[in-house]
Amino acid sequence: MSFQAPADGVLLPPYRILDLTGPEGVFCGKLLADYGAEVIKVEPPAGDPARQRPPFIGDEPGLERSSYFLFYNTNKRSVTVDIESPEGQDLFKKLAASADVIIESFSVGYMKYLGLDFDSLKTNNPGLIMASITPFGQTGPWKDYKSTDLISLAASGFMQITGDPDGPPLRQGNEQSHFPGSQHAVTAIMGALLYRDLQDGQGQYIDVSMQEAMITYYTDAHPALAWMQRGENVTRVGTNSTLVIPLGAYPSKDGWISAGIITPREWENLSNWMYEVTGNEEILNDDYKGGNQDRAPYNDIITALVIDFTTRFTSEELFHQGQERNLVFIPVNTVSDLLNDPQLEASNFWFDLDHAEVGTLKYPLGVFDSDEVTPVTKPAPYLGQDNDSIYGDLGIGESELAALRTGGVI
Amino acid sequence: MTNQNKPLSGVRVLELGPYVALPLTGRILASLGAEVIKVETNKVLDEMNFIPAWSRGGGQPEFQRGKKRITIDVRTPDGLEVFKELVKVSDVFITNFRRNILDRWGIDFPELRRLRQDIILMWQTGLGGIGPYYTYKSYGILVQHMGGVSLMSGEEGEPPATINTSYSDYHTGVFQPVAIMGALLRRRLTGQPATMESSIFKSGALTAGPAILDYQSTGRVPQRIGNRDPFAAPHGAYQCQGDDRWCAIAIQTEEQWQSFRQVIGNPDWCSEDAFSTMEFRLANQDRLDTLVGEWAATRTAEDVMTQLQDAGVPASVVSQGQDLYESEHLKARGFYQPTPYYLADRSNPAYEWEQFEGIAAANPPKMSESPMDFGSYSNIGEDNDYVFKEILGMSQAEVDRLAKNQSLY
Repeated sequence: MSFQAPADGVLLPPYRILDLTGPEGVFCGKLLADYGAEVIKVEPPAGDPARQRPPFIGDEPGLERSSYFLFYNTNKRSVTVDIESPEGQDLFKKLAASADVIIESFSVGYMKYLGLDFDSLKTNNPGLIMASITPFGQTGPWKDYKSTDLISLAASGFMQITGDPDGPPLRQGNEQSHFPGSQHAVTAIMGALLYRDLQDGQGQYIDVSMQEAMITYYTDAHPALAWMQRGENVTRVGTNSTLVIPLGAYPSKDGWISAGIITPREWENLSNWMYEVTGNEEILNDDYKGGNQDRAPYNDIITALVIDFTTRFTSEELFHQGQERNLVFIPVNTVSDLLNDPQLEASNFWFDLDHAEVGTLKYPLGVFDSDEVTPVTKPAPYLGQDNDSIYGDLGIGESELAALRTGGVI
Repeated sequence: MTNQNKPLSGVRVLELGPYVALPLTGRILASLGAEVIKVETNKVLDEMNFIPAWSRGGGQPEFQRGKKRITIDVRTPDGLEVFKELVKVSDVFITNFRRNILDRWGIDFPELRRLRQDIILMWQTGLGGIGPYYTYKSYGILVQHMGGVSLMSGEEGEPPATINTSYSDYHTGVFQPVAIMGALLRRRLTGQPATMESSIFKSGALTAGPAILDYQSTGRVPQRIGNRDPFAAPHGAYQCQGDDRWCAIAIQTEEQWQSFRQVIGNPDWCSEDAFSTMEFRLANQDRLDTLVGEWAATRTAEDVMTQLQDAGVPASVVSQGQDLYESEHLKARGFYQPTPYYLADRSNPAYEWEQFEGIAAANPPKMSESPMDFGSYSNIGEDNDYVFKEILGMSQAEVDRLAKNQSLY
């Protein structure tokens, strides 16, 4: 094995990963960087357009101040290169020869047009792994279709099941299309690295379609199977599920609370508690007893009874008192609740990252906690901050770098 | 000669736990070549076998394919002993039971590490395995509301638009294989194992990152804005001809706006000052949405999408099940594959269940040299013989005895 071991307390070896992605793949590079890979953002000389994206810290615009950019680029390094110029392409090829992985999310065929596609780059680097994360993948009749977050939510069918049945399909907030494609790409990249380095394999190309990745993020609703089996289209159900009854978000005395009754035992506990509190005997009706699907015909009645119950408590009361009765009530949080949550605090979720321009902010880092390995904690890079050291290590001298700079290549 | 190895050839994973995130983790590891042994018991079937009502077990092939599925009741003394024998021959153990439950059953992480010193442990819970809620029971479909995203979804002034699925489970389920593969690499390079504790709560909260930074800086909390976007207009789902048929349109650039005008025949309103720049289009989007909606309403969703995409404008039908099932694009990519399904029966929990043929999604990443296996789909308990006799070397008489006393059931 010729590759390096991870540093102490870090999960991943310092694999060199070139990140050329836009919003489609920005989370992929972030996950690898947060766990210890050397992820280098390869930006055009004017910078990744994400640097221009509001809101800015303190509402002051600036290339190093976008909250979006700062979050999605933690622990990455940054070089600039104009890959549309011949000099830039030569430079990028040198960089690519030093890389373990390249991730990109350009329109299908763009890298080939530049002469920077996988087949061209691997000639100088047979171990190279390249992953493309694109809206519809590299093949098939929709491969050139234009997309955005909203379009991805529509094409995958996510929107079809979000919202009220009497209203339009709704966009899920927080740009959910950022995650499924990027996360599937990381699993494949890790697989490809293990294949190459532990299984005597070679490099390879990975094609991820965001549409497909997103379809796999709501498998439990399985609309294609529903159509195949029943000739029915799964649709929107509002704030309450039709998969499990009762389940959903209900109003409380001071906001929203979510609740879900999955097992027959839980229904028994909840219906008894509801009876104790409301005195309404209807809830004890034998027809409502049983598994989560046995109540499907009575969804409307049960929802009304649940709301009569939940509105008598605060969300916190239901959350904690529910647990005493082996029932799951979960708060509907906003970002300020997250920052004050004792559980996140206890599980080492927050890291203070000091950034020379925007100061110190709490960042959420890491989806697991471990005594042995923790996330790396460097803030997002300044534009081109690593040009000298990374290009210098490739044997590009100071005068050559100066010329590239003057020529607008870096 | 092509290398027949898979990324995880030679790695054995022991899985204990129901629902979505954890089984999905095991399934992805199986697709990458690991031998994944899933421990279940007929006495308490995974509730996902009964969801949704129209087709019990929708999604089960996606969560269980490629695994060796065995029955052990770890709550029995004999069952626990067999389980511990499996720990000794496994590289990775993954579970999503809370500590108080594991304690009750006598499954203790330090002891597992004594049984197998270099085992990698991935311990997933809903809310967190340590900290004040460590004993709290939870479900992924609800924990998604804790992560902050529900309150960013929906129409302005309306209740949060929740989604009829537990998407936070998938964040966790697809992330955990990455952590496990990282830990396997690290173990090979440093000799050190790792214990990792993850939660669906944390996976969900992580995705709220930019909003968390913005809140600290400005005190702003994200608002619900329906299908609108701070930077683009027109931007929404427009109702078309047919029953519940919609097409989403998202115009982000001036070039796309000009192409859009051509496609819709450049009606007079397009030339109004009110729509002359993105800034104005955003400011006047109520009226803009009405006008775009009037155009879309007289067409089919497919026509709207095709005409706009042919002109380079981002647009898509809001896919229903039928669209996905019949999609020429997904067919060309081989996305849905045939698979058996097993219809669970609470009154007859052993594995002679009714079977039917359905479809399941392939693994989204297409890997050129070590393609991910679709995997064959065993029913619960179907691999008992292989695991107990071939891996653990138990005799038929012993297996029969423990099956009869309901330890291996």
